[in-house]
Amino acid sequence: MSDIVDHSRRQFLSFAGKAGLTTLVAQAVGINLGVVDIVRAQTGKRGVEPFRFAIVSDSHLYSMPDHKFDQQLAEAVAQVNAMTPLPDFVLFGGDVAQNGTEDQLVKGSKILAELKMPLKIIPGEHDWYLDMGDAWRGLFGDETWSFNHKGVHFIGLNSILVRDFWTEAGMTPLERMTVMEMLESPIPGPWGVHEKQLEWLANDVKDLAPDTPVVIFTHSPLWDYYPRWNFQTSDAPEIREILSKFDNVMSYHGHVHQTLYNRIGNMSSVAALGTAWPWPYPPVELAFPETRMNRADPSIATDGMGTQVIDLSGSFEGLVQYKPFEDSLTPFMRDGFKV
Amino acid sequence: MTTNKMLKIERVLAVSALAAVLAAGTSWARAPFTDEELAAQKAALVESIALGYDLWHGSRADMTTNGLACGNCHPDTAASNPQTFPKYMTMYGKVIPFREMVNWCIENPQAGTRLDVDGDDMTAMEAYAFYLHRGKEITPGLASEQTTPIVVEYGTGFARTPTGIGVDNRP
Repeated sequence: MSDIVDHSRRQFLSFAGKAGLTTLVAQAVGINLGVVDIVRAQTGKRGVEPFRFAIVSDSHLYSMPDHKFDQQLAEAVAQVNAMTPLPDFVLFGGDVAQNGTEDQLVKGSKILAELKMPLKIIPGEHDWYLDMGDAWRGLFGDETWSFNHKGVHFIGLNSILVRDFWTEAGMTPLERMTVMEMLESPIPGPWGVHEKQLEWLANDVKDLAPDTPVVIFTHSPLWDYYPRWNFQTSDAPEIREILSKFDNVMSYHGHVHQTLYNRIGNMSSVAALGTAWPWPYPPVELAFPETRMNRADPSIATDGMGTQVIDLSGSFEGLVQYKPFEDSLTPFMRDGFKV
Repeated sequence: MTTNKMLKIERVLAVSALAAVLAAGTSWARAPFTDEELAAQKAALVESIALGYDLWHGSRADMTTNGLACGNCHPDTAASNPQTFPKYMTMYGKVIPFREMVNWCIENPQAGTRLDVDGDDMTAMEAYAFYLHRGKEITPGLASEQTTPIVVEYGTGFARTPTGIGVDNRP
């Protein structure tokens, strides 16, 4: 069922099969549809063979045996394996581990190996700063990649690179990791993908036609959400500029452990729920506040966590559906939304 | 002396007496704090806040057995909502103060040992949480929605040795 009310960028807002209900809900919570404007860009001319992919993210595994986060990641894997139809592949959004130790990464790789479908993965800061990615690369391969699938060009980048704050300070690897573990640490500074990956990205897409459907995947959002918590990627403007020639770019990211949508130019941006814990929304205004989830109830151990699945249509529309472990979504979000 | 003149004199005397009492009254209260005293008081408060910052981020081992610290879920004390306590919490089935909510998180998500509610560490936890909610409206009993702490600029914080949030500390 098509929910496109108006193909103009001004009017589009739809939630699959629930356009009427959505309108009522939106009005009930005081949302002006003309302002909210969840819009997809003009679709490319190229056809996409419809398929779905899932996202699992931010498991933050600890070393202790039988830690509760192990079970929560396993629950996410089981949830994805039970999806009908099955996703073609799974993207993991970074932070497999909490402290970056090899045993934590290995534990994560074993749980993720239970997925019935292929896995693509990019690193988070918790995976990286104990050994600067050595163990992660040994398990998962390159952190910068692209591939084509059923007409869509997928890109993965390592967005958690920071300036060297440890050498001059004489920090040990453990101390470096410790600094990076704290979300609000004043020490490391904003992170990004840095020059080499920008060059790689420019080269990767230089021969692609503007109507090529593009999905880019990073740990952190490609927009300035709340830099204090590194809810940002410092060179996101350069990334968006490189990708500006495309009709429609979808960005999916982890790190923020919450439901979230934004749009800048031709790029839509969707966040992933984590499997370890939810993060509060920071003290900033959102352009699309209705895409927030309910405040997590701490007495429900897995509230505010889960997975997500995206169905891409033949015209490169994406239906994003969050699949929380508990009843964490507002009615507005319950049936998914299109990007 | 006319009656009017007498009334005026009485009025003047009464006002003078009142002024004298008021003047004397100011000398009965404690003198304003000196700059040095205020600096010392502020330093004591900041030290308590900074201790709370450390505790919030995992500096005290017995607050957790699974590696989790308060800061895992509450960066910058976000969504801890200290200004909304006392309030009814479903896990207790009654109205509780903020410090009891702190202990609930220590004992449940963190699987640790509760703090002495009258101890300096609990005071420090409160000092840190309230410091990052300064200026927020006090609304006891109301927190059906998430509230946020004050906006904190990037790169600010406390010049403390990182305590290793979430570091495995099980023997």
